[in-house]
Amino acid sequence: MATDTLVSISLGKEKQAAMDRFLAKGFPTNKWEEWKYASLKSLNDIDWNWNSSETPTNASSTSIEGSLQLQSLNGKFTTVGSLPNGVEILEFSAFAAQNPDFITKWEKRNQILDQNSLYDLNDALTTTHQVIWVKAGTTLPQPIVHQLLADVSIASAIQSKLLIYIEKGANVTWVDDLRSNSSSETILSNYVQEIWVEESANLTFVKTQDFALKTTHVDHTFIFQQANSQVDMFTFSINGGFVRNNLHFYVDGENVLSNLNGLYVPGNNEFIDSHTVVDHRKPNSESNELYKGVLLGNSTGVFNGKIFVRPDAQKTNAFQSCKNVLASDKATMNTKPQLEIWADDVKCSHGTTTGQLSDEALFYMRSRGISEEAAKTLLMLAFVQQVIDKVEIPELKESISDRVVAKIQQALGV
Amino acid sequence: MLSIKNLHARIGEKEILRGINLEIKAGEVHAIMGPNGSGKSTLASVLAGREDYEVTEGSVEFQGKDLLDLAPEERAAEGVFLAFQYPVEIPGVSTTNFMKSAVNEIRKYRGEEPLDAVQFLKMFKEKMAYVNIDQSLLSRSLNEGFSGGEKKRNEIFQMAVLDPKLAILDETDSGLDIDALRIVAEGVNKLKSPTNATIVVTHYQRLLDYIVPDFVHVLYKGRIVKSGTKELALELEEKGYDWIISALVD
Repeated sequence: MATDTLVSISLGKEKQAAMDRFLAKGFPTNKWEEWKYASLKSLNDIDWNWNSSETPTNASSTSIEGSLQLQSLNGKFTTVGSLPNGVEILEFSAFAAQNPDFITKWEKRNQILDQNSLYDLNDALTTTHQVIWVKAGTTLPQPIVHQLLADVSIASAIQSKLLIYIEKGANVTWVDDLRSNSSSETILSNYVQEIWVEESANLTFVKTQDFALKTTHVDHTFIFQQANSQVDMFTFSINGGFVRNNLHFYVDGENVLSNLNGLYVPGNNEFIDSHTVVDHRKPNSESNELYKGVLLGNSTGVFNGKIFVRPDAQKTNAFQSCKNVLASDKATMNTKPQLEIWADDVKCSHGTTTGQLSDEALFYMRSRGISEEAAKTLLMLAFVQQVIDKVEIPELKESISDRVVAKIQQALGV
Repeated sequence: MLSIKNLHARIGEKEILRGINLEIKAGEVHAIMGPNGSGKSTLASVLAGREDYEVTEGSVEFQGKDLLDLAPEERAAEGVFLAFQYPVEIPGVSTTNFMKSAVNEIRKYRGEEPLDAVQFLKMFKEKMAYVNIDQSLLSRSLNEGFSGGEKKRNEIFQMAVLDPKLAILDETDSGLDIDALRIVAEGVNKLKSPTNATIVVTHYQRLLDYIVPDFVHVLYKGRIVKSGTKELALELEEKGYDWIISALVD
């Protein structure tokens, strides 16, 4: 078993506890309810390098201009250039020493981690991690751009972890550009982000995932929102052999707005799984979830959207929608909305659709002289563009659009 | 221009057209009338190439070509246009982008060079005047959230842009108030020429006050049971369809 080599790694007490939790459970298998469509059992057959010292080739900052450029290269975090005013980057232990009140709160964060053994693996193997600390009232003129790049010559399991702390009244746009090089050997990219959005702070977070076929990426993005804060989250899953997103929103204050937008376009032999949780713990907040997928070739997609409305969370508005187009008769989509509502004065709705393109729309377009193939492409691009158009950074919007359009056109042979 | 001979069509097991014969020449306007369920909209759909219908017998020749042999997009490129009774909403595609794709695909079919952005701008501006349609409407997602009148004006705008040889208006008057009806009808009349022809499918005579037909045909149970001139439409308005139907029984 690949995990046998983990036993011999010497760790401190807390880290060893995390390792023991992982070893007790192992990699997720499809016997676990949360991983029904997404078994990672095959990872047991790979002789993993657990601590890669390689440096990726082609590590370049992205074309997006940022106030701050950050990189995680095979799990090693670096800052490119200088820090703007109002931003500090430091190790978690140093951050904890300066922010005892936060740590008290942090220790009670109560994430939903059942059946998430890879979180424990990440916890065990990341002996230290960085905190990006945006100070109260800071508004950056341009986004913070974080590039995560993986590229190895022997099969490697890569752990990356960041804590983003956005203080009261700060406004941040974060671009999370995740990639692996197509020439890379097998990768397990295991990525944890904890994001704290304090009172009256605003965060726009745009995550793009563009991985090689031989990459397995498991993403844990946990967002904790305090009163009067707003988060606009975008997850664009463009390429990847196996991508599993665990996106959690914990609504810990009143008058919080959480917007979750997702788009996935898996192609041949690709698997993309979006597991989202919105946990309404306080009253008077709103969440809007809009996910869309175009499934190409023989790809498989999963959407599992959970909404919890806790007994205290009266006057919650929680909306969820997931729409999918099967662009091929070999593609599969699995959807599962789950609502758990414990409060009585709430407005919640959910809806999922999976289907072919509308025959009525296709006939209408063809009756105007547009060929069937061109009509299909036009309809699919319009379908995905509605998510992409919500991104407000022009060059980022263009880059996402170009990659998604090229992928769809290539799959449809136009 | 159009020659329909003994046309039979069905949907599933149900035969809806049961032997239609119709000749249409360039420059003519033909009205197809008839009670609900007589096959009017089916005839329009079959001519445009809707695949839900199966043609079991008969032929349709359009400008010397076998129309039934062509895909819907080829029929459009040959000059057939169907104004839909219920125009389809296409989220995320604006009318202008839709029409640019359509025009350039048709030009490709005909072996012509594509139009560029400047040429489109000029052409759209000119065609917008036909139905008094606003630029802001054309920039919005096609038909999405449009009122009934806006949808039908948009249909006629598309017709103006594509400049068809044969326009088929399927119940274009349904859901229109009198002002919208007049605007739509004026658009159709401006587009009329000695080289094109129009088929107006309608339940009511009202539209024919504005688009005056050369010939009126009454469809009943999948056949044309009576043909005449525009006076026939007035007679139908006055007496309803029953007198024709009861005459058939006798």
